[in-house]
Amino acid sequence: MRNTYLWLLQLVTGGLILLFGGTHMVLMHLDDILGFFGIDIGEPTTWASMMDRAGRGFWLAFYIIFLALVLYHGLNGLRGIILELTPSPRMERLVTGLILALGIIAFGLGIYVPAQLFAG
Amino acid sequence: MGEAKKIKFRIQRYNPENGVAPYMDEFVIPVTRGMTVLDGLFYIKENLDNSLAFRSSCRMAICGSCAVVINSFPHLACHTQIAELRVSTLELKPVPNYAIIKDLVVDLSPLFQKHRAIKPYLIRSEREEMDAPSAEFLQTPQELEAYLQFSYCVKCGLCLAACPTAASDRLFLGPQAIAQCYRYSSDSRDDGAEERFPAVDGDHGLWRCHLAGACSEACPKGVDPAFAIQLLKRLRVSRALGLGRGRRPTPVAPPPTAMQPKLPVPEFTVKPETALRREPEG
Repeated sequence: MRNTYLWLLQLVTGGLILLFGGTHMVLMHLDDILGFFGIDIGEPTTWASMMDRAGRGFWLAFYIIFLALVLYHGLNGLRGIILELTPSPRMERLVTGLILALGIIAFGLGIYVPAQLFAG
Repeated sequence: MGEAKKIKFRIQRYNPENGVAPYMDEFVIPVTRGMTVLDGLFYIKENLDNSLAFRSSCRMAICGSCAVVINSFPHLACHTQIAELRVSTLELKPVPNYAIIKDLVVDLSPLFQKHRAIKPYLIRSEREEMDAPSAEFLQTPQELEAYLQFSYCVKCGLCLAACPTAASDRLFLGPQAIAQCYRYSSDSRDDGAEERFPAVDGDHGLWRCHLAGACSEACPKGVDPAFAIQLLKRLRVSRALGLGRGRRPTPVAPPPTAMQPKLPVPEFTVKPETALRREPEG
């Protein structure tokens, strides 16, 4: 049953990445088009703009969720590829453990700075 | 009469016991109308080289013994006519993803082990009925249609030979076993899907399929294992979400005496006693 749930989660995160990633891409790279429609978000790729977003609860939560989605989707996919080449249960456990550790470390690093800023 | 058309067979020879690396051996044989690749192999064995090893039995695509790679594509040798290939040279190799025993004979044990792992038989809760059946289980033609296509599998192993996932992951359960898991789990007489699922839900099971579709292309019986894998994924997900648990296995057919006739038997309009009574003459 575990692999069915992992696959289901892979499917759900894939769909959500389209939504979150799409929003991110529009904000970062289509600011001119947004300006055409009267939505002025300034210069989204500047340091000041990033710090400003990190200080707002909505955008902080948005990017933390986005990071979790991308990490799960990418690392679970990587695990699936590597498991095909590891024909021993011991190696499988090792691969799963390493990927889980990599995901937790990457997630911790990703949220450390914005969480610090948000905490003030 | 003109000279018979000839064709060249290039066959991979290999005997792991003598330590010589695999090499290609060539034979030129006459071709007759309707001749299959298996007929060609028999001609070579009987007339040119009796040391050639290949496996066959029924010669009519029922037993699945003569699976080989013919011109880079897995086929049943008995199911492939030489003329239909429209080539002057045939290259025959043993099917990949199996250990070679000798020449074109491979060890199919992994295929049968994986097949056994998914419990390929009807499982029901009433064990007494399973051990000593009192009658057949009822099934409608529509319920039969749900799995009939997948029951045509002859266990030739061509799907596993064609599968790219099986090529890189030797523990992968493979299209044959997964398709048969669906075949039994979708059978209305069966109640053992939950018992089979642990075997297909592992790290080398159902979810490792790349959906390349090579298994369905190679299958000589039109089973379409790739389709069965997708249907089994749907079944697994629906069960994981708590859907589709309502179906109960079909009951055992009642004994004929307990059945009610669909239409009432009409009463005789002429009673036997009146029919035999004759009117006096005169």
